[in-house]
Amino acid sequence: MKILVPIKRVVDYNVRVRVRTDGSGLELNNVKMSMNPFDEIALEEAVRLKEKGVATEVIAISIGVPQAKDTLRTALAMGADRAILVHATDDVCQDIEPLSVARILEKIIKSEAPQLVIAGKQAIDNDMNATGQMLAAALGWGQATYASAIEVQNNTVLVTREIDGGLQTLCLKLPAVVTTDLRLNQPRYVALPAIMKAKKKTIDEISIKTLGIDITPRLSILSTAEPPKRQAGIKVKSVDELVSKLKNEAGVL
Amino acid sequence: MFLNETQEEVRATTRSFVNNVVRPAAETLDREERFPTEIYDEMGKLGLFGIAVPEELGGPGFDTLTYAVVMEELSRGYASVADQCGLVELISTLLVRHGTPEQQKMLPDVMSMKRKVAYCITEPEAGTDVSGIRTTATRDGDGWVLNGGKIWIHNAPVADTGFVLARTDKEAGNRGMSIFIVDLHAKGVERGPKEHKMGQRASQVGGLDFQDVRLGADALLGEMNRGFHMMMSVLDKGRVGIAALAVGIAQAGLEAAVDYAGTRKQFGKHISEFQGVQWLLADMAKDIEAARLLVYSAAMKIDRGLDATRACSMAKCFAGDIAVSRTADAVQVFGGSGYIRGFEVERLYRDAKITQIYEGTNQIQRMIIARELLRKGAEA
Repeated sequence: MKILVPIKRVVDYNVRVRVRTDGSGLELNNVKMSMNPFDEIALEEAVRLKEKGVATEVIAISIGVPQAKDTLRTALAMGADRAILVHATDDVCQDIEPLSVARILEKIIKSEAPQLVIAGKQAIDNDMNATGQMLAAALGWGQATYASAIEVQNNTVLVTREIDGGLQTLCLKLPAVVTTDLRLNQPRYVALPAIMKAKKKTIDEISIKTLGIDITPRLSILSTAEPPKRQAGIKVKSVDELVSKLKNEAGVL
Repeated sequence: MFLNETQEEVRATTRSFVNNVVRPAAETLDREERFPTEIYDEMGKLGLFGIAVPEELGGPGFDTLTYAVVMEELSRGYASVADQCGLVELISTLLVRHGTPEQQKMLPDVMSMKRKVAYCITEPEAGTDVSGIRTTATRDGDGWVLNGGKIWIHNAPVADTGFVLARTDKEAGNRGMSIFIVDLHAKGVERGPKEHKMGQRASQVGGLDFQDVRLGADALLGEMNRGFHMMMSVLDKGRVGIAALAVGIAQAGLEAAVDYAGTRKQFGKHISEFQGVQWLLADMAKDIEAARLLVYSAAMKIDRGLDATRACSMAKCFAGDIAVSRTADAVQVFGGSGYIRGFEVERLYRDAKITQIYEGTNQIQRMIIARELLRKGAEA
């Protein structure tokens, strides 16, 4: 069984992000970028399935700028067998919409024919949480989102989902699309010898033009604003004053 | 800027391991003076021991610059952990260069820390001046008999295998020493008590005594009577490693000081708004960056096969000196808190001191720099 894992290159989760002065988006120049943490979890799960002998090949795919190759190298060092980079834009600030990503992935999937796609539930840059769902719809495959456990059994995959009030387990016929939540696994640290081995693995590079897909944006970002600064706390003189403020100002009582 | 894509990746993966595993454990390890087996097991699995061991012998086969990057990152978490990496690096480099195929079979165990090693050079009468060693190995059939004593040996209390420098020809000075691979669980080996040190307290250091320890024919590493030269051949790399370790300590101090200055308030504002504190931070940052670049330069010289002796001594000396002076500044930024056990900068200041002493004192480094200048000229 082949597993395809889409990988997005995003602002590193440790970076304190800043909004560009013109409000058009985030400042991405000279900012550390790395693999979207949810995609890292997706890849880890795929590699574990391969180590268990369930999967035969794990393919990592990224769409975007040439620098995404670095992120794919990390994916190869983590255990992906090979990688595909779809060159879709030269501008790091230009984001590709979930619908376009889903269409590109659909096209690749038609030729690669994986049985399972494991994707991060969302990218931490714009939190769309849409690509996995759109991809499943485009392919006509079953989908399970927010996975906290994945088990492949014959021609099905059992997915435990974190939902309000507890856990739900779904059984999906393969092929299927699964998106990962935070608690699915703890991704491994890349071992140093694996970094060297990853250099010998292949990254196929494809130009978006050859796929014949329209990726014209359907959404436009009107503005990007930083969250308001946190207000300083206040001290109250008595319990009565506290209760009154909780009732009348905070409205929590 | 100086690192290629692979070196950046090694830095990133080491840093994330260090942030999650090493740095949070450092204060406890320091207090308990404990050998962190669990961290070393994990590092073995990640390939953080034996960084230059070539792929055909089971290592990642990285260059000296990559090794320096790893050493700085590990030390930023905890210098004792980095020093363990440095020790394994020297031993594995000796094994790769001089070991027989049979001796090299121990490499996987050395790199996974299943077999803990010790590099046994120093003696009471032979510290910086190695030629004063009195430990002897005398011929006995096709093997040897080892007698003498070593002090301040890193890992001595826990090590399984010692790489022991011993005199094999009393008359021949530096050309009369050899390195032997010694089973430290063997009859005649006695371990002295563990030393209680000022810093790098998770590093187990102590003495070793050898009384009529019988060594087989396969115990000799490399050529007979060439021990001193073999030791010297890995010295440059050792100095780059310790220089990078010193940079890592100072870097941790800078990070802690910047964070603290931005949160600690006095006179109604953050202390980072006071110019006196800003100048401390600025001086720390520029010295650390200068030291790091000296380390990179020395490492790149080794990797390109250039004469690196002066560069390695300059890196080791400068990095060690600024590690001490700039962690002292970090303590200063913290004020009273920085003097209290349990605060990272207090430990960093103690951990830094030894970097001016081990791997050749900084006085010796200055002698080497001057000697190189006078012998080879001052050209850059």
